[in-house]
Amino acid sequence: MSALASPVPVPQEVAVHEGPALLAGLTDGPSLAAHRGRYGALPEVGLAALRELIRASGLRGRGGAAFPFVRKLDTAAGSTASRAPGRRGGREAVVVVNLSEGEPGSAKDSALALTRPHLVLDGAVATACALRAREVHVVVAGDRPAVRESVVRALDERDDAVPIRQHATEPRFVGGQARAVVELLAGRPNLPVTSWAPEAVAGLAGRPTLLSNAETWAHVGLLVLRGGAAYRHHGTDREPGTTLLTLTRPGFVPHVHEVGYGTRLRDLLPPGVHGHPALVGGFHGSWATWPTLRAARVSVPGMSALGAPLGAGVLLAPGGSCPLTLTSRVVDYLAGQSAGRCGPCHNGLPALASVVRELVHGDADGGVSGAAGRAGRLAALVTGRGACAHPDGTARLVRSVLAVFPDEVAEHAAGRCAVEPVGSAAEDAGEVAS
Amino acid sequence: MSRRLRVDWPSCRARGLCHELLPELVDLDEWGYPVVAGEVTDALLADARAAVRACPRLALRLTDR
Ligand code: SF4
Ligand code: SF4
Repeated sequence: MSALASPVPVPQEVAVHEGPALLAGLTDGPSLAAHRGRYGALPEVGLAALRELIRASGLRGRGGAAFPFVRKLDTAAGSTASRAPGRRGGREAVVVVNLSEGEPGSAKDSALALTRPHLVLDGAVATACALRAREVHVVVAGDRPAVRESVVRALDERDDAVPIRQHATEPRFVGGQARAVVELLAGRPNLPVTSWAPEAVAGLAGRPTLLSNAETWAHVGLLVLRGGAAYRHHGTDREPGTTLLTLTRPGFVPHVHEVGYGTRLRDLLPPGVHGHPALVGGFHGSWATWPTLRAARVSVPGMSALGAPLGAGVLLAPGGSCPLTLTSRVVDYLAGQSAGRCGPCHNGLPALASVVRELVHGDADGGVSGAAGRAGRLAALVTGRGACAHPDGTARLVRSVLAVFPDEVAEHAAGRCAVEPVGSAAEDAGEVAS
Repeated sequence: MSRRLRVDWPSCRARGLCHELLPELVDLDEWGYPVVAGEVTDALLADARAAVRACPRLALRLTDR
């Protein structure tokens, strides 16, 4: 089966906005000279000092799960210390910079690679040195050539004490999943496999593998270069720091913004999408209505409490076009991206996609409640039953569309859509009126 | 800590032997793949171990999380 194209193409261009911390001084350009001119040489930090910097900042991973980064670091450091008997030199750690945004709606790690590659690399190198890691791997998305070129150029400029190797994922939604990346590094197919232990305990070749996305490493880099006070200068007391967000509108170049936590979300949304719902967290995310978006502040716990977790910071805003039609196209695409390894995902996602299609196109067997019920049951059935969280994320999206748009789902099932098709006069009027 | 039966999904080929050996814990979905419910209690431990050994794809494991 040939996979359906993503309703939002993988971005080849990104509009990157000047920001308060990671994205400060963009006009300097991405070169190492400009980077060192701004931040100075990368200081050497011991593991204890690095740990304290990260712990005091409260830094959470920016790949979507928002896991406290200090815990990941501790796990990797602890696993390094526990030497396997008979193995000389213990279990040296491996550091991985995951730049492979498999999510087409996301461009924030691409933005960093294009504008701030040395901040990302400094974070990874400082950590690798503190852990006395064996090597650093930088993994880019195979279908974002400009990102790869920028990373290669940056690596050519550097001369680090630890070897850095660059790799490219297969162009596939789940190609950037942590275990799929470890498989790629190990020379095996770039697909997720069952994880019996966290990567930080046993990842590449069984070594403790500290793998994180580019944004997390860039924050570590800035912590090392500028210290913890500079980090806490932004954000709120309870949630210090800044975060990157990608605003993706179908038909537009994605925009990447850096904002302090606590910023009003609506300040980031262009007038053209005001008054309309948006998909928060990308293709595996949740829909939020305009009243929710209007009241929301950029916050990990805050957005979770609103039922629209920030995830990796993607805001997919279709403006005035139909959110149900978009969801159906996303689920079709996701079903084709399952890589077919795990039975429940391989069978369940296409079945789920077809029920969603029936609902949206108004030819649902057994009426709307029957089809909605089937969609809910299939979503529950696939959840937790795969080597990776792809079925869970797809199910989340389907549950969200059913929960957030019950009236629209009923209208569609009856063969009506209240929203004009994309690019219609109504939408253009909306751009002006809002 | 609860003991659970976990499936290595890329390995499982829906042979359904696990369901035959451990119907208390393992159901099958409409495609024949196992649906594992709940915790492996002490009473079920021996049967669970038997299912792990019997799986022709070595796709089952007992884990502590
Ligand atoms: S759960 Fe789905 S996407 Fe993930 S590895 Fe299995 S088949 Fe592939
Ligand atoms: S016995 Fe093994 S291969 Fe067969 S269904 Fe159960 S887990 Fe899958």
